[in-house]
Amino acid sequence: MTTSAMLILDILMVLSLLSLAAAALATSDARRSVILFMAFGLVLALAWARLQAPDVALAEAAIGAGLSGALLLAAVGDQPRRALTGDTKPVHHHDHSNLKLMLEWTVTLLCIAVAGALAWALAQAFERAPQATLAQAVSENLATSGVSNPVTAVLLNFRAYDTLLELAVLLTAVLGIFALGPARPGYRTAGPVFGGLVRWLVPVLILAAAYLLWVGAHAPGGAFQAGATLAAAGVVLRLAGQRTVGLPQGPTLHLVIAAGVGTFLLVGLSLLVLGRPFLGYPPAWAGGLILLIETAAMLAIAATLVLAFLGGRPQPPRVNVTGGKPPAASISTLRPRSREGLSGADVPGAESHKHFSEENRQC
Amino acid sequence: MSDTLIWLFALPLTGAVATLLLPRQATALANVTAVATTAVAATLLHAVSRQGTLSYEIGGWSAGLGIALRADGLSTLLLMMTALVVLASSVYASAYFSKAAERARFWPLWLLLWTALNALLLSGDLFNLYVTLELLGLSAVALASLGGKLAAVQAALRYLLVGLLGSMMFLAGVSLVYAGYGTLDLSTLAHTVEAGPLAWTALALMTAGLLLKTALFPLHFWLPPAHASAPAPVSAVLSALVVKAAFYLVLRLWLDVFADLLTPAAARLLGVMGAAAILWGSWRALRTERLKLLAAYSTVAQLGYLFLFFPILLAMPPGPARDAALGGLVILALTHGFAKAGLFLAIGIIQQRCGHDRICELDGTAQRLPATTFAIALGGVALIGLPPSGAFLGKWQLIGGAFATGQWLWVLVIIAGSLLAAAYIFRVLGHAFGNRAYPQSTVTVAREEWPALVLTGTAVIGLGLAGAPVWQLLGSNA
Amino acid sequence: MLTAHWLYGITGCLVVALGLRTALLHALLLHRLIGINVMGAGVFLMLIAVAYRGPGVAPDPVPHALVLTGIVVAVSATALALALARRLTAEQDDE
Repeated sequence: MTTSAMLILDILMVLSLLSLAAAALATSDARRSVILFMAFGLVLALAWARLQAPDVALAEAAIGAGLSGALLLAAVGDQPRRALTGDTKPVHHHDHSNLKLMLEWTVTLLCIAVAGALAWALAQAFERAPQATLAQAVSENLATSGVSNPVTAVLLNFRAYDTLLELAVLLTAVLGIFALGPARPGYRTAGPVFGGLVRWLVPVLILAAAYLLWVGAHAPGGAFQAGATLAAAGVVLRLAGQRTVGLPQGPTLHLVIAAGVGTFLLVGLSLLVLGRPFLGYPPAWAGGLILLIETAAMLAIAATLVLAFLGGRPQPPRVNVTGGKPPAASISTLRPRSREGLSGADVPGAESHKHFSEENRQC
Repeated sequence: MSDTLIWLFALPLTGAVATLLLPRQATALANVTAVATTAVAATLLHAVSRQGTLSYEIGGWSAGLGIALRADGLSTLLLMMTALVVLASSVYASAYFSKAAERARFWPLWLLLWTALNALLLSGDLFNLYVTLELLGLSAVALASLGGKLAAVQAALRYLLVGLLGSMMFLAGVSLVYAGYGTLDLSTLAHTVEAGPLAWTALALMTAGLLLKTALFPLHFWLPPAHASAPAPVSAVLSALVVKAAFYLVLRLWLDVFADLLTPAAARLLGVMGAAAILWGSWRALRTERLKLLAAYSTVAQLGYLFLFFPILLAMPPGPARDAALGGLVILALTHGFAKAGLFLAIGIIQQRCGHDRICELDGTAQRLPATTFAIALGGVALIGLPPSGAFLGKWQLIGGAFATGQWLWVLVIIAGSLLAAAYIFRVLGHAFGNRAYPQSTVTVAREEWPALVLTGTAVIGLGLAGAPVWQLLGSNA
Repeated sequence: MLTAHWLYGITGCLVVALGLRTALLHALLLHRLIGINVMGAGVFLMLIAVAYRGPGVAPDPVPHALVLTGIVVAVSATALALALARRLTAEQDDE
């Protein structure tokens, strides 16, 4: 593309980003806000692709726009009448006291100042000689890292410790979500059209995930993108009314969500015990170890994101559930199970019954 | 020997995974992990006191390309305090949660919180610090909302939003630093950073984010409800350790990495906010009706003392006087950590046994729960700053430093704060030692009571009488 | 100094400010969460703009890795916040 065409594309991209962000933030309707936010995320993914960041673009489209949007939409769907959607409280406080108005103006000015300071500092940073030292170090050490995709090398080798902690963050989030209550009631079992589509789509997504995982070693891709694709398969299954959404039950589920952190620790500590530095892969084994860690991480990421979409502890399936009995199935799954010892009686059955009474959700 | 740096975060993290996979043995596993990690922390303390700063390059990659861990005197002392406080609170928590389901949910998150604390204190990389801050925030929020009560969930949600805001600002600062200097390694940055709008904005953003997380007045609004509604062992760790971690980062950034940029005006701003925190926090603690809220407001006030050190430290040229003042700061932070944790554990016992934590209805507590009341009294002594507690040493340094640098206004604030602290502590003790004609007897479990006693005892006696090694250890601050 | 640096970098700063304003001012949780996520997107824009080295030159992979980590951390936090909000509404419905 010629420089001027690129410039026009850039300007259009930047303008869409700014207007989508502003629109998403300004609207008072929650659903509209989330959809605009998803659009913002998708244009952002395009921006990453334009800025030669394809790994980030894949992750942004799948996680940043896709899964975040799905989570937010599911949350909006929870509360049709309550505070999330903005129906109960007016957003524009112009009819309120002058104090509120002054506060708004002060904060707006503060934000403008922050933007100005950031821009000024960034300009200064650009004016200094471009610091290529780290990029240089990466390319110098890429050969011994075990992969040829530099981003994967940074994520899974040079700065693998960050990725370990990040997987711990995912684990913490899902454990926190588990502790807060059972999952949302499911959806009605899909009809023939959607069901047919899902039967075709889910295997394709699984294959795509496996491909992304494999190809991440030498091309854009990797554990996070693969995990997000798998999670998308899980979300699609959920929307089609599938109860278990491909997740294992009980203790196996804990094994899966802890797999990422566990594998990392296993590899890292074994290397430490064998005399090498923590997470210092021997160059001959680096590729294999990275693939091992990435596979476990992919499963953990996928499970965590699907559980986040479910919104809580998944309820074990009931025996008599068939396609023809969705209402009973949904209500009965909300009664607390004492069998496994992990689904505690935080939310008494009667209360959850009343709360989750709108169980027949149409996809 | 520098392998201990790895084990310090790897042990709690392994424990977290283990307690998740084996919920029936979770309590035993967690306590074993706690003891093991404390042992490793003690080994590290010993090593650092002999050899000075220890560092470890993860993966063997040189600092810059990879992530480096660093343990100097300051971080080692805080690591040791973290280990002892978490160990004592773990023993308490083993008895606190009665239902197996609650315990199964608690232990993995608890150990993840400890992992975050240790990882944060050891980290030598800016972006790694961001990730540890997020891990710390999320695990703290998840723990604070355990139990699912309305007040706790509301407070936890606010805590989460404030924490996220702070993390985003911190990350904005980190990205500026990378944009300008091309490295994220703290020790490299300490040599490369130059004064200018870039460094200024980066430091301002990072500090603002951290001040939100350390609840410095006026950004403290989220702390009292969150700490007061959380389960007792969680409150102990939140007040004693989690807010201190953010403070440690401010200290690290201001004194080590960006030391050349600082102006007296900036330090004075921190000092003013600290002074306001002392007065406002102590006043609210005096006026509150609930013990847990009192302890939470007291945290807000005590953090103010720590920030009062900034204008004084920066007005002193590097030398023995400044080192002495820094030692005072650290010992004050350590004492508060132990004392506040012990206090929250003791309040937890009272809350469980009496069914409430209202101050006015504490009559007869000393008759029923003498050990616990004694723990509260000890904790109170440390919070007021009476000798022989470590806080006395710290405040002595603070007052001395204020006079030496001619900033005697802070002395008035310190005196007022200490008087207010005395007032609210004696108010509680006055009620607790009130006599009831027919006190109900309660059964107390030793496992519950002695952690609080040990923690507050350390604050008052241990750190006070044996405080000298702190200065020695800090002297090895490379 | 490439035009792309300026364009996307400054956009990032503006997006951060937009997100910050909503995160601070808006009364409702969902909008505040979106505001925080938008702030994150702005910071990522700044980072990726810094990483860009021009057409035909390989970009700096370190900010890409940082942004990837940031995206995952942001979605974890959002998920926890939404779960808390759901529990909050359940508790409030009880009262």
